Amino acid sequence: MNLKKISLLRITVILFITYALTTGFTFYCAADDNKTFTVGFDAEFPPYGYKDESGEYVGFDLDLAEEVCERKGWILKKQPIDWNSKDMELKTGAIDCIWNGFTMNGREDKYTWTTPYVDNSQVVIVKKDSGIEDLSGLAGKTVAVQSDSSALAALTGDDATEENKNLAASFKELQQVGDYNSAFLNLESGAIDAICMDIGVANYEIKSRGNLFVMLDKHISSEEYGIGFLLGNTELRDEVQETLWEMLGDGTFLRIAEKWGLESSVCLSAEDSYIDNTSMENSQSLIERFLSISKQLMGGLGASLAIFFLTLLFSMPLGLLITAGRMSKLTPLRWIVKIYISILRGTPLMLQLLVVFFGPYFIFGINTPASYRFYAVIIGFTLNYAAYFAEIYRSGIQAVPKGQYEAADILGYSRKQRFFKIIFPQMVKNIIPSVTNEVITLVKDTSLAFAISYTEMFTLAKQVAAAETTIMPLFIAGIFYYIFNFVVAFVMEYIEKKLNYFR
Amino acid sequence: MSLLEINNIEKSFDNLQVLKDISLSVDQTEVISILGPSGSGKSTLLRCMAMLETIDGGDMSYCGEKAVTSVSGSPVYASKAQIKKIRGYFGLVFQNFNLFPHYSVIKNITDAPIHVQRRPKSEVYEEAYILLKKMGLEDKENYYPYQLSGGQQQRVAIARALSMKPKMLFFDEPTSALDPELTAEILKVLRSLADEKMTMIIVTHEIDFARSVSDRVIFMDGGIIVEEGSPKEVIDNPQNERTKAFLKKMSVNS
Repeated sequence: MNLKKISLLRITVILFITYALTTGFTFYCAADDNKTFTVGFDAEFPPYGYKDESGEYVGFDLDLAEEVCERKGWILKKQPIDWNSKDMELKTGAIDCIWNGFTMNGREDKYTWTTPYVDNSQVVIVKKDSGIEDLSGLAGKTVAVQSDSSALAALTGDDATEENKNLAASFKELQQVGDYNSAFLNLESGAIDAICMDIGVANYEIKSRGNLFVMLDKHISSEEYGIGFLLGNTELRDEVQETLWEMLGDGTFLRIAEKWGLESSVCLSAEDSYIDNTSMENSQSLIERFLSISKQLMGGLGASLAIFFLTLLFSMPLGLLITAGRMSKLTPLRWIVKIYISILRGTPLMLQLLVVFFGPYFIFGINTPASYRFYAVIIGFTLNYAAYFAEIYRSGIQAVPKGQYEAADILGYSRKQRFFKIIFPQMVKNIIPSVTNEVITLVKDTSLAFAISYTEMFTLAKQVAAAETTIMPLFIAGIFYYIFNFVVAFVMEYIEKKLNYFR
Repeated sequence: MSLLEINNIEKSFDNLQVLKDISLSVDQTEVISILGPSGSGKSTLLRCMAMLETIDGGDMSYCGEKAVTSVSGSPVYASKAQIKKIRGYFGLVFQNFNLFPHYSVIKNITDAPIHVQRRPKSEVYEEAYILLKKMGLEDKENYYPYQLSGGQQQRVAIARALSMKPKMLFFDEPTSALDPELTAEILKVLRSLADEKMTMIIVTHEIDFARSVSDRVIFMDGGIIVEEGSPKEVIDNPQNERTKAFLKKMSVNS
C-alpha cells in the first residue's frame, strides 16, 4: 500500500517536471521568432560600453547596436563579458559579436570584421604633477596597459614599430591590468606611473575623474575600431553592416556619435571594403602549441608556488597566535579576535587583497613602492588563511579530552608544557583532514591574486588564451593545478599516515 | 602527623550544593575507601582534594602545609609556587586512565619525572623499569596506550603516578571502566601497594575489596559523610538506614 503511494507520488513528480520542461521549451521556441542579437562588451569601457549611475549598460556602441536591432526587428541582449574570455564567448555562440571599441589592427585575421567605424589612437596618461612631459620621460617608469589591449599590441605586439618597442624596453615594467578602473586606482596611488590606452576612453576618464590626470601630446599609435564576428560568420556581419550604412545615410549614425562626443573620431564610410581573411589557418601543430603554452605558463607557476608556500609559512603560526587570542581568558581580546575572524571569513578574499594593496594610499596617503604588489598578495593571503587556520586549530584543541589536561595538571606540568607536550601533538592529529582541505583550497585560491594585477599562473593563462584565441592555456593551467594538488594531497596523506602511530 | 587534613569543605555546581561541610583527616599509611551511590559527591570530594576542582568554603592542608585557608568564611588558595609544591605530594589515578596517547608506555611514565621534577634521566628510567616489572608490563615499554587492554592501561597509569614518588595516592573509581576479569588485576595491584604501606584514598564500588583492604571506610550520600569507621563497623554492621539500603542494593547486584 505504502509502496504504491510512493510510486504514485513519483509518477506525479515526473509528469510535473516533464510538463514544466516542455512548456518552458515551447516558450523558448516562441521567443525565437524574434531573433535575439547578443552583443558582448567590456562593461568597464566608457564611453563605448559601461554601467551608468542608474545601473544600466549604456554607451556609444550599445546605442548603435540598439538602433541596428530596432531596424532589423531583433531583440538586443547586452552581455558584459570578461575581456580575457571574449574568444570563448564568441566561439561557443554565447555572444554574436564583440562590439566594444574593438581594435581591428593586429587582429585582422582573427575575426570577421565590419568596416572600421571609429578611428582611435593610443595615448599615454600620467598624473598631473608627475613631471613626466613626453614619451622619453617614461624611461625607468612602471606603465600599465590592459591585458590584450591595442595599447599592449602597439608596444610589444608582432606588428609594433621599432620606435614603440624601444620605448617599451625603456620602461621599468610594463604592467598588465584587468580593467581601467583598477589601472586608475593604481595610477592615483602611485603604484604605477602611467597608463597607455585608447584616446576616446582616455578623454572620458580624464574628464570624469576631475582632471587629476593629463595626456601626453605625442600618440603612440593610431588604430581603427570595428565590430568583430566569429571568423566566417559573414552572413550576420553583412546584415549588421548594411544596417550601419543605412544609418550613416540618414544621419542617425552621426547623431549617436555626437551624443557621446565622438563625432571627431568616427570614420564609417560606405566606400570601405571588407578584409578578406577566410583562408586563415594556424600553422603550428597541436603538440608544438601545447609545449609553447606550457613553457609560457611555467613562469606563472613559479609565482603561484611562491604565493602558496609563503602563505602557508606565515599563516600557520599566525593562526596559532589567533587561536590563543580566541581562547584567551581576557574578554576584550577574545572579542577583538572574534571580530577579526568574522570579518576575514565573512568577506571575499579578493576584496581583502584590494584593501591591503590600495589601503595604504587611499586610507593613509602613503605611496607604496612597485614591489609592494607582491607583498600585498602575501599579506592579504596570510591574514585570510590565518583566520581559517585559527578556527581549525581551535576545533582541534577542543577535541582533546578534558582528562588530558587533568592528567597533565596532576603530574605538575606547567601551562606551557601542557600545551606543547600534551595538547599540541594531539591537536595536530585531529586537524589533519581539515588542514588538507584548506591547503588544497589555497592552491586554487592563488589565482585570486589577479585582483591586484599580480600575474600568477591563472592570470597568465587567461592572457595567453586571449592573445592566441584558444582555450588551451586554461586547460593546461587546469592540469598544472591538478598536478600541484595531487602532490599536496600525497604529502598530506603521508603526514596523516606518519601520525597514525597513536590513536 | 596527618598527611591530609580538610575541614568544613563546601562545593556547589551552579546552584546545586554537592559537598556540605565535609571534614576528614588522613594519617600516614592509612588506606581509606569512600563508598556511596552515584551523585553522592564522593568523586567531587576526591577531585577537590586533588585540586582539580576549587572549593567554595573550608580549608585544606597537606603534610602540615596550608593549601587553602579560610579567611572570614571564604577559601583563599596559597601562592602558585606553594600549590605547585603541594601538588607533588599526591598522585591521582583516573577512572578513564587518561594516559597520553601520543607517548609510549615508558615515555608516559618517565616524562614528568624528567621534565617536571628534573630528576636525572638514568635514575628515572631505572625506576621506571622496576615499576613496569612490578606491574607485570616489562615487555610493553614501547607500546602505545591504544595497543594495550584497559587493565594494562590502568596499570601504566598507576606506574605513572608512582613514578612521581607521591606521599599519597588518590584513586577515582579505578576499576569502573574495566571488565570484571580486568578489575581483579587492578585490585591485586592496589592490595600490594597497601601492603607496602602506601597511603591511599580510593573511591570505589567494590565492597568486598573495600572491606579487605581498608583501614577506614567512609560512606557518603547527599554531599555529607553519613557513616565512618572500620570496615567491620560500616560494612558489616552499618548503623544508618541509608548505608544499610545502599549495601543491600549492592549485594543484590553482585
